[in-house]
Amino acid sequence: MTLTIALTVGTLFAMGTFLVLRNDLVEIILGVSVLAQAANIYLIAMGGISEGAHSLVPVLTTREAPFPETADPLVQALVLTAIVISFGMTAFMLVLSYRAYQENGTMDVREWER
Amino acid sequence: MTASLVIAPLLVVLVTGVLTLVVRPWPRLQRVTSVAGVGAYTVAVAALLRVVVFGPGPLAYQVGDWRAPFGISLVADALAVFMLTLTAAIALYAIVFSVFFIDTDNQRVYYHPLFQFLLVGVTGSLLTGDLFNLFVWFEMMLVVSYAFVAFYGEAKHTAAALRYIVVNTVGGILMLLAIGGLYATVGTLNMARMAELLGAGAVDARPVVGLSALLLAAFGLKAGLVPFQFWVPSVYRSAPLPVVAVFAGATKKVGIYAIVRLYFTVFGATSVTIDLPLVAGDSPLAFLAPVLLVMGVASILLGGFGAVSRERLDGLLAYSSIGQVGFIAIPIAIAAGTTSESLRHLGLLAGLVYALHHALTKGLLFLSAGVIQDGAGTLRLSALGGLGERSQVFSVVVFVGSLSLVGIPPLAGFFGKFLVFETAADQFAGAPSLGNALVVAVLLAGAALTIVYSTRVWIGGFWGEPTAAVERGAFAVSEIAVLATLAALVVLVGVGFDPVYQFADAAAEAAVDTEGYIETVAPAADHAAEGGGH
Repeated sequence: MTLTIALTVGTLFAMGTFLVLRNDLVEIILGVSVLAQAANIYLIAMGGISEGAHSLVPVLTTREAPFPETADPLVQALVLTAIVISFGMTAFMLVLSYRAYQENGTMDVREWER
Repeated sequence: MTASLVIAPLLVVLVTGVLTLVVRPWPRLQRVTSVAGVGAYTVAVAALLRVVVFGPGPLAYQVGDWRAPFGISLVADALAVFMLTLTAAIALYAIVFSVFFIDTDNQRVYYHPLFQFLLVGVTGSLLTGDLFNLFVWFEMMLVVSYAFVAFYGEAKHTAAALRYIVVNTVGGILMLLAIGGLYATVGTLNMARMAELLGAGAVDARPVVGLSALLLAAFGLKAGLVPFQFWVPSVYRSAPLPVVAVFAGATKKVGIYAIVRLYFTVFGATSVTIDLPLVAGDSPLAFLAPVLLVMGVASILLGGFGAVSRERLDGLLAYSSIGQVGFIAIPIAIAAGTTSESLRHLGLLAGLVYALHHALTKGLLFLSAGVIQDGAGTLRLSALGGLGERSQVFSVVVFVGSLSLVGIPPLAGFFGKFLVFETAADQFAGAPSLGNALVVAVLLAGAALTIVYSTRVWIGGFWGEPTAAVERGAFAVSEIAVLATLAALVVLVGVGFDPVYQFADAAAEAAVDTEGYIETVAPAADHAAEGGGH
């Protein structure tokens, strides 16, 4: 499981980096969203990825009382917030890219005004 | 009850932000609301200052009454309040100036709500005591600044905005990675609890060094330090000039604040052996010192040479602000690298005083650029000239700003430069090595470059016969009057430096007072009440 997650995160980061370095604006925006998703999966993994053992949940390991079997809820809350932020950001970028296309007349960022 | 005071500045700007949206159909009322809101914000910050610095001491507010480390804490200690004061000062001038500067139609296009929400983001970032919450406030601050960069909506503005968004989103992702890693390492996101666990050696602190480097990249990007400076010039040329004054004065400093807060307050007490080429030591601070020093040195040189060769005033000021952030970074880097407590204190103090001076002075100069833009219609230095003949008062204002930037006594800039040089000289006196001598040399070169480009602005813009653009232009008396009071403030901070020094002294003290920070957020009495542990 750990290996699968690590490979997924790695592949997504590689894909995102490749796309961000392209010249076409839409590819860049896609790249940024892929990078954001990679970060989200990484964040989920940071809560411990084996099911249900409280000893793997960071927020609980520093406490002593007995806890029921549980997955870490905190990272899920974090990821939810991060998803919302990156979603809003992508929407804003897409709208802005349309305006930038109208103003600059091309989607190729190399040909834009400095 | 007093703990609620912590959220007062935040609530004021949040409510004003919503109100300015509600009163949008009545432009005049909207402007009044917006200015009054920032005025109330200043009052709230002043009240907080009175309690935290001159009163009972630091305060913490537990959001929703969820106690730390489970809930989100908002913490107002002397360091946070110092940065808030600086933000309030520059924001108040910027908003009053905006009312005159931004044309009324543009002001109706969400200018005022955006301005308020920018302040919400900055205030939240300064007050929060939770690492993920810091990320959220950063994003809030950034979303607003994207909108401001694209505000005028022409080719260069939209291009600059998109580049700025991509760079900052990647920066935000780096910060998320660091947050996730730190959570897995330490098991909490509450900064006070994190400092406590790391200081007690309760967790394996080795990953913290690498993760803190990711944070440094994210914060360096916000602060515009080399090698993350590339967004600065195009953004500062695109956003409305009063907003640029807030960007250069306040949002950049949030990056610096975050570096100080995380490295000194949170990671400062961590003991971990670092054994890398060129970097060796026993705390994450030992890693910060050489890296931040190189970043600061490179910023000073790149900013200085860049500013000297610019054709436009706004570009010149943008590069100058890259260089000036270097002046803030170097004493902080020296503070991180030293083992002497007094030098560490002096370094932080110097960085903070310089940050305050830079916020006021660079704010003044960016707003002055606004007056020129408004009056002459251009910021090209070649098209300007003879401004001195057109308006004496305005010339005095810019003269005060330039002299303060250069560091002439008794202006605010003198004490900033003086303390930075004292830090570097002390470091050299303590350990006379080639590297430390080079730092002093770079600071001197940076100061010399500041003189060169300030002189260029002065000779190019103010001396000589008025050019056609300047001759035809009308310079708004109202705008100049606002700036005259800001110039007076720059003089006042220099002349009455003692209270400012006391304040910065308390802030520098708070930056390294990890135990005090922990005690503020989660008082030991609470622990006892809950039966000695959670």
